[in-house]
Amino acid sequence: MFRYLVRRLLYAIPILVGVSLVTFLLFYCVFPPEQIARRNLSAKNPTPEQIQDWLTTHNYNHPLSEQFQKHMSELFLLRFGRADSTNEPIWDRIKAGVGPSSLIAALIFVSALATQLFLALWSAYFRGTYVDLWITFLCVLLMSVVYIVFVIAGQFLMGKILRLFPLAGYQPSWSSFRFAVLPVIIGVISGLGSGTRFYRTFMLEEVNQDYVRTARAKGVPESRILFKHVLKNALIPIISSTVLAIPSLMLGNLVLESFFGIPGLGSYTVDAINSQDFAVVRAMVFLGTLLYIAGAILTDVCYAIADPRIRLE
Amino acid sequence: MKFSSRRHWLFTTVAASVVLAGCGNSPYPAGLTGQSVYFLSQADDPRKLDPASSYRASEGAILDVICSSYYDYQPLKTKNFQLILGLGASEAKRAPYTYTDAKTKKPRVGEQWTFKVRRDLKFANDACFPGGMGRAITAKDFIYAFRRMADPAAASPVQGFFTDKIIGFDDLIARNGDLLKKGEGADYKTPVPGLQLDQKDPYTFRINLNQPYPQMRYLMAMHFTSPMAYESVDYYGKDIVHHPIGCGPFILEEWTPKRRIVLAKNPNRPAEYYPSEGDPGDKEAGLLANAGKQLPLVDKVVVSNITESTTGWNLFLQGYMDGWSVTQSNYQQVVSQQGSLTPEMQEHGIRLTKSSDVGVTYFAFNMRDPIFGGYTTEKRKLRQAVSLAVNSQEFIELFSQGNGRAAQTVVPPGIYGYDPKYRNPFRAYDPKLTRAKELLKEAGYPNGLDARTGERLTLYYDNAKTDAAGRQYVALISRQIQALGLRLESRSQRDVVWQSKIDGNDWQMTDYGWLADYPDPENFVFLLYGPNRRPGPNLTGYDNPVYNRLFEKMRAMDDGPERLKLIEQMRAISDEDCPLIYIQNSQKLSLAYDWLSDFKPNPVTNTALKYRSVDGEKRAERQRQWNKPVWWPLAAMFAVLIAGTLPAIQVVKNRHRRRVTHKD
Amino acid sequence: MSDWLSNIIPFVIVITLFVVIRRAATQPLWAEAIRRIKRNRLALMALCVICIFGATAFCDSISWRKDKNAPSLSLIDRAFERPAEPTYSAPFATMTFGEPTPRPLLGKHWFGTDGTGQDVFYQTLKGCRTATIIGGFTLLIATPLALLFGMMAGYFGKRVDDAIQYSYTILDSIPNILLLVALLMVMGRGLPQLCIALGITSWVGLCRLTRGETLKHREREYVRAAKALGISNIRILFRHILPNLLPLVVISTTLSFSGLVLAEAILSYLQLGVAQGTGSWGNMIDGARLELAREPVIWWNLSAASLALFILVLSFNIFGDALRDAIDPRLSS
Repeated sequence: MFRYLVRRLLYAIPILVGVSLVTFLLFYCVFPPEQIARRNLSAKNPTPEQIQDWLTTHNYNHPLSEQFQKHMSELFLLRFGRADSTNEPIWDRIKAGVGPSSLIAALIFVSALATQLFLALWSAYFRGTYVDLWITFLCVLLMSVVYIVFVIAGQFLMGKILRLFPLAGYQPSWSSFRFAVLPVIIGVISGLGSGTRFYRTFMLEEVNQDYVRTARAKGVPESRILFKHVLKNALIPIISSTVLAIPSLMLGNLVLESFFGIPGLGSYTVDAINSQDFAVVRAMVFLGTLLYIAGAILTDVCYAIADPRIRLE
Repeated sequence: MKFSSRRHWLFTTVAASVVLAGCGNSPYPAGLTGQSVYFLSQADDPRKLDPASSYRASEGAILDVICSSYYDYQPLKTKNFQLILGLGASEAKRAPYTYTDAKTKKPRVGEQWTFKVRRDLKFANDACFPGGMGRAITAKDFIYAFRRMADPAAASPVQGFFTDKIIGFDDLIARNGDLLKKGEGADYKTPVPGLQLDQKDPYTFRINLNQPYPQMRYLMAMHFTSPMAYESVDYYGKDIVHHPIGCGPFILEEWTPKRRIVLAKNPNRPAEYYPSEGDPGDKEAGLLANAGKQLPLVDKVVVSNITESTTGWNLFLQGYMDGWSVTQSNYQQVVSQQGSLTPEMQEHGIRLTKSSDVGVTYFAFNMRDPIFGGYTTEKRKLRQAVSLAVNSQEFIELFSQGNGRAAQTVVPPGIYGYDPKYRNPFRAYDPKLTRAKELLKEAGYPNGLDARTGERLTLYYDNAKTDAAGRQYVALISRQIQALGLRLESRSQRDVVWQSKIDGNDWQMTDYGWLADYPDPENFVFLLYGPNRRPGPNLTGYDNPVYNRLFEKMRAMDDGPERLKLIEQMRAISDEDCPLIYIQNSQKLSLAYDWLSDFKPNPVTNTALKYRSVDGEKRAERQRQWNKPVWWPLAAMFAVLIAGTLPAIQVVKNRHRRRVTHKD
Repeated sequence: MSDWLSNIIPFVIVITLFVVIRRAATQPLWAEAIRRIKRNRLALMALCVICIFGATAFCDSISWRKDKNAPSLSLIDRAFERPAEPTYSAPFATMTFGEPTPRPLLGKHWFGTDGTGQDVFYQTLKGCRTATIIGGFTLLIATPLALLFGMMAGYFGKRVDDAIQYSYTILDSIPNILLLVALLMVMGRGLPQLCIALGITSWVGLCRLTRGETLKHREREYVRAAKALGISNIRILFRHILPNLLPLVVISTTLSFSGLVLAEAILSYLQLGVAQGTGSWGNMIDGARLELAREPVIWWNLSAASLALFILVLSFNIFGDALRDAIDPRLSS
């Protein structure tokens, strides 16, 4: 186990190098620093001297190879520096954004998983009846609607008809829950269709297993079989398949955050991409990769814990 | 079947709903809306709040009430813009000034401006000052602000205003550039001949210019020239762009990027009062109700960052935004009929104010383009033909619901030299396009086909219009150009790509706009001055020697009949050459609730925040009334779902029983 | 150039589909699946709907010019050739909408007209082609890519596997939006370019799946036997393993088709969509966000586009489900 972890961690290094290399090349070929300078100098028309000065003050004035070395060493030491467009320390924004992002994303993750499992069980319990049919159909319907339509409809309902929760905004306190309600509901509904269907197949596969038949033969009530035995056994693959996403929750949801004005890392990344803020983009991509790798390792560990037959070597 | 667990679950839901219902849908902390706080929203989040470098509209709207300047604009005089003293103690004095030119070593005559600063000024309290208490402001702090504009670390966008005018300023910039290459900080010590402190009076400073420049006074009303404390720059270093310290009516209390900005009354603010006179009719309109009261009129301002215009609009309708400033892109959402509010909105106590922007939007030809650029008669006629085919009115109808004026020339209304009776001969749209087609034929393209090759002429339209409104814009212009017989090929790019194509001279036609930096015709006619070509503000690269000579003459003049004549001559020349297709002088619609005191938007200032007062109690009461939560649809939905499932339970039970009996 | 290219794409898609179906029908597994689908009435209906959308897209791709200076018009363009209205009008209305003085309309419009006076029904039909191309062409790029790399990684293992896994892990770690923005900046905006960019960002999932499946097949008897007989690796991969992977590929592509069509709408919201002039449901939906806040509300633009999108995606989902059940009956309920 320990050796396995060490090997996985060592394997992470080339991936991080690769990702940073690709980001670096993308930026230097697609958005050259002169363009970044022009974009970030707020003047209507900056002069060449001003652009040169900007490049010097923001450390973009080195030859390519030296620039790349600097870029790598800064990233691996987690020295992200300051944003190109706003000049503020990137770590400050990451610290400020990680709260709202993980709150919303975690809420969506947990409630989505719960709702999907609940519906899947419900569907499995009523399999073959019209309830099962309707749930399946509803899932396909939900899967066929564009995300943005959910957002538009959700805001319309909440703003014009129900008026239960704020439309947008965020407050860093316990009352921030009310701000989270609408985005979370939309996040849950938009993922409901595919998730429920996915888990329903899991459940149905379990239902046909031998142990279920045995339990049924022994006279265990159907609801007990389903909610206790089937759920427990189906949970192992389900949890293992979702663990991968957990660390990345910190980075938040790109579209929802920018739509609902949640000052999280998702909207931060989107803004940075749109304003070609190289310093922020490379930091966020690097963090994202770190979390992604963490998720992969976590998944393997979870498998090993949940299934004693698997040994990590 | 275990019903108890489900009942338990239902109970939790109901309990949670009751708790949540207590919170309501207000996006603000409880009780705040009942106080003297002004709530508004901005779509664009400021990037920097630094007097030397902030240039975006969203930054100006906040910064200008934190950092006051020598001059201010009389807010209510919007017919003829009028400067009043802000931090200045008396009007600036202008006098001829003889100096020795650094290069030719010969004496030349320039202009000296003498400024006298109020003696009761203090910086806002801030940690950067000893003991946290703001110190007194002297002329030094003004000079410091000027020198900071030459500091590469500040990346000031307006250097260009001063480089070629303040004596010795270009040398200072060059020196600072050299220092930066050596890795040293900018020079704040060596005297600059153009920036002079008075030897005796610490409240007087002089700016020496190498040419007469009447527009200098307007520059003294912009935040770039507002006094700056060297302590703050030393203390905050690179973070200075997030800590504006001035002596305006407000201080920056909180700034959470992408969320909100909170401004609070500045205890050190100099005495300032609501004006007691305005344009004719202002008194009757109730705009003088607060006359003589000390500014600012509210204790706090909360500016929320809301990027989605639909969200902002819904929040406004719920009463959580006091005002809603409507820009061109979301114009069409607001008013259903031309210029009037729906009765429903009137019932809610919403007020509609119309105001004109001092600006002009236009399509521009690249004058260096081999096909559409150039100064021969054919090329001119080709541009004139295209210009005649573009119908401004349709743009105004579609994007501004008919509000706005079809622009005739580069100088917009509200600026000296604007003539409401003037009609540009090449902006007169005729649906039959008779004259346009004639001109096109004379230009060598009968019916849009090249007379030599028989190919249809293609006009490439470079733009950054990738959003929804932009796509409609492109659709409209291509329809109009195609009616002339030309093919319009739109090249929509992301902002940056488009911008660098323009800068790289790789474009044929594009669209642009100009908003006044200051209310002087020079700020508009310089858009066509040859030497101002890129990277200057002259987009098209238009360069007509006659026009250039006239411009140089009019720039140094004060308003008067002679200047007017020059402006008219320039207009005749540039309209004939047709480098720009003028579209509109836009009008702005703003909405406000009646708990916010009425105020007239002034397009050349950003200081509106200090002139508004709020009736918090009325607002809180209305918000309560309008935002009663509605729960029954949710409850009904759950009821239907549960009721719908009940028969299925029976089915499953039967199935189970059947299975049991079957086994028997 | 791109005009010509995107006109070719539908033909390529149709030919590919035709070849795939012809080849599949000769195999017993597929013949059985087709028989099962024929019995599923819902699936047949969905297939019909898909065919209608496909036919519309196809008609919209057959275009020609009257003479060298005329614009190139497709069958759909020609069917709807009539003067544009001045501005908005409601479905079946006779007067324009939202103007201070409504003007009479020149024609009847089933779904009304939009801000520039274009018929919404016509635009919705134009959207079919964009959606089909985005779904079809992207898959045409992504699927072979994923299959090739996935099979190579699974079959050869070791270094090859490491290299391929390494590259897709990197690709997966970079946010898709960043990649799309960057790729579109390099290649320029346009429908084919968008498809290529989407293809590059979307092949990883299928590649993983293929790799896993190939790993399983590599150890099977028939592959070992083939190896022992000295059949070349390439032949083993393409003649023996590939047919066994096809069910998986077909299911996965059917389902990702709908994902791609939906993605186009989100890309439009992020301003990465196709340019004006190429009819697209994503652009219509994005544009409708502004119109929804108007009073009285302009709903037909949003409804038409999201309905068309909904129907197409729904049909694909239903058909995909049926297909999966038909191929792999063990999974059906």
